[in-house]
Amino acid sequence: MEVMAISQISPDQVVYWQWKFVTINATLVYTWLVMFILVFGSWLVTRRLSPTIHSSRWQNFLEVVVSGIKGEIDEVSKGEAGHYLPFIGTLFLFIALANLLAIVPGYVAPTASLTTTAALAICVFIAVPLYGIAKQGIGEYLKEYFRPTFIFFPFHVMGELSRTLALTVRLFGNIMSHEKVIAILLSVTPLFFPVAMQILGLLIGLIQAYIFSILAMVYIASATQVHAEHEK
Amino acid sequence: MHIDWFVFFAQIVNFLILVFLLKKFLYSRIIKAMENRENLIVSRFAEAETMKKEAAKSAALLEEKNKALAEKQEELVNQMVLSVEHQKKDLLEKARRDVDTVRERWQETMNREKDSFLQDLRQRAGIQIYSTVRRILKDMASADIEEQIVRVFIRQIENMDEKKRAIIKESMVKGGSGIIIQSSFPVSDPLRIIIRDTLKQHMGGTPEIQYEIADEIISGIELRACGHKLAWSINDYLETLEEDFAHALLEEARVKS
Repeated sequence: MEVMAISQISPDQVVYWQWKFVTINATLVYTWLVMFILVFGSWLVTRRLSPTIHSSRWQNFLEVVVSGIKGEIDEVSKGEAGHYLPFIGTLFLFIALANLLAIVPGYVAPTASLTTTAALAICVFIAVPLYGIAKQGIGEYLKEYFRPTFIFFPFHVMGELSRTLALTVRLFGNIMSHEKVIAILLSVTPLFFPVAMQILGLLIGLIQAYIFSILAMVYIASATQVHAEHEK
Repeated sequence: MHIDWFVFFAQIVNFLILVFLLKKFLYSRIIKAMENRENLIVSRFAEAETMKKEAAKSAALLEEKNKALAEKQEELVNQMVLSVEHQKKDLLEKARRDVDTVRERWQETMNREKDSFLQDLRQRAGIQIYSTVRRILKDMASADIEEQIVRVFIRQIENMDEKKRAIIKESMVKGGSGIIIQSSFPVSDPLRIIIRDTLKQHMGGTPEIQYEIADEIISGIELRACGHKLAWSINDYLETLEEDFAHALLEEARVKS
C-alpha cells in the first residue's frame, strides 16, 4: 500500500481532511502516531518501575536509552544534562522513532516533510536564546552578538539563521531523498536491492536523529557557555 | 516543496506537548528509578562494607577465643597428664603394696604349712622311730625301750652337775609339793621304785612323786619340781632331723625358683 505517490515529494501533500486553512495531512497523522507510541510506551513501562536491582527488560531498555542520551548531553554540556535532557532527548527520540518506523510498510516518516523539520529547527532556534538567557541573563546573552566587535553582529545573526536552515534542510533532504530512492528502486529492481537500501535507511535515520539532536545541543551549549569561557 | 503554516505550528505544538509528556512519563521517572537504584546499591555496598568490617571483627574475636581455648585445652591436657601420672604412680604403689601383702600372706601361709608339716613329720617320725627302736630292742636284745629311757633318765640324774642338783633340791624343799614325772608311756612299778630310790639317793629326803602321761612328750620322760625341769626325750634328735629337713626343703625351693 502506497500512501504517497512517487510524484508527491512530501507527506504534506497527502491530505486526509481539510477545512479552510486547517489541514490534516499524513505528516500530522504520522506525527501523532509516533507521539502516541512514545508516550504510551513510556507510560506502560514507567507506571511500574522497580527500584531494586531486578527490573523488567523494557525498563532496562529505557534506562539504557535515557542514560545514553544523558551521557552524550553531559559530554557536550559539561555535566548539566538535567536541564537539557527533556528537550534534546525528545528531539532525538522523536526523530529516531519517526525515521525507524520507515521500515513499516505504508508508513511515511513525518521527518520527510520540510514543515516538520522546519518546525523542529525553529524549536531549536527559539530554545538556544532561551537557554542562553536563562543561563547568562539577557544582557550578557545579547552582548555575545557584538563580540569581538559590533561588526560581527550581522554575521552572528546570519549564523543563527543559516544553521537553523541547515538543520531543516539536512534532515528533510536525507529522509525525503531516502524515501524517493526506495520508491524509485522498488519500481526498477523490486527484489533484494530495496531491502539493502532499507537497512541503510535505518542507519541513516538513526545517524540523522543523532546529528540533529547533538547539533542542537552544541548550539545550546555554545550559547550558555560562551560567557563562562570568556570569564576564564 | 512548500511549508504548510498550519501544519508547521501544529508540529511545534506537537513537539512541545511531546516534550512535556515525555518529561512527565519518561525522563523524570526513569532518572528517579536509576537514582533510587544507585542509592540502593550504594547503601548495599555500605552495608556490605559494614558487614565485612563486623565479620572481620567477629573473625578476630573468634580467632582470639580459639587461641584462648587452645591454650586452655593445652593447660587442661597438661594437668590431666600430670594427674594421670600421679594416679598411675599411686596405683602402681598400691598394686606393689597389694602384691607385697599377698606375698607376705602367702609367705605366712607357706611358713604355717611348713611348720605344721614339720610338726606333723616330727610327730610321725618320733612315733615311727619309737616303735621301730622298741621293736629292734625287743627283737635284738630283749630290752624294753621304756625301761631304757628310764635308765637313761636315771643316769642323767646321777650325772647331773652339782649346781643344777642343788637348785632342784632347793626347789623341792621350798615347794614341798613334791615331784611330777611326766612321760609319754605309763611307768611300770619296778621302774617307779628305781626312780624313787635314785632320787632319794641323790636329792635326799623322801620325795612324793606323782606320775602323769603327757602326749606332747615324744618318747621321753620329764621331771618337774617347782618350775625346774629335768628331761630326756627323742625330741632333741627329732629337732635336729626337723632342722635338716627344713633346710633341705628350702634348698629345693630355691633351686626350683
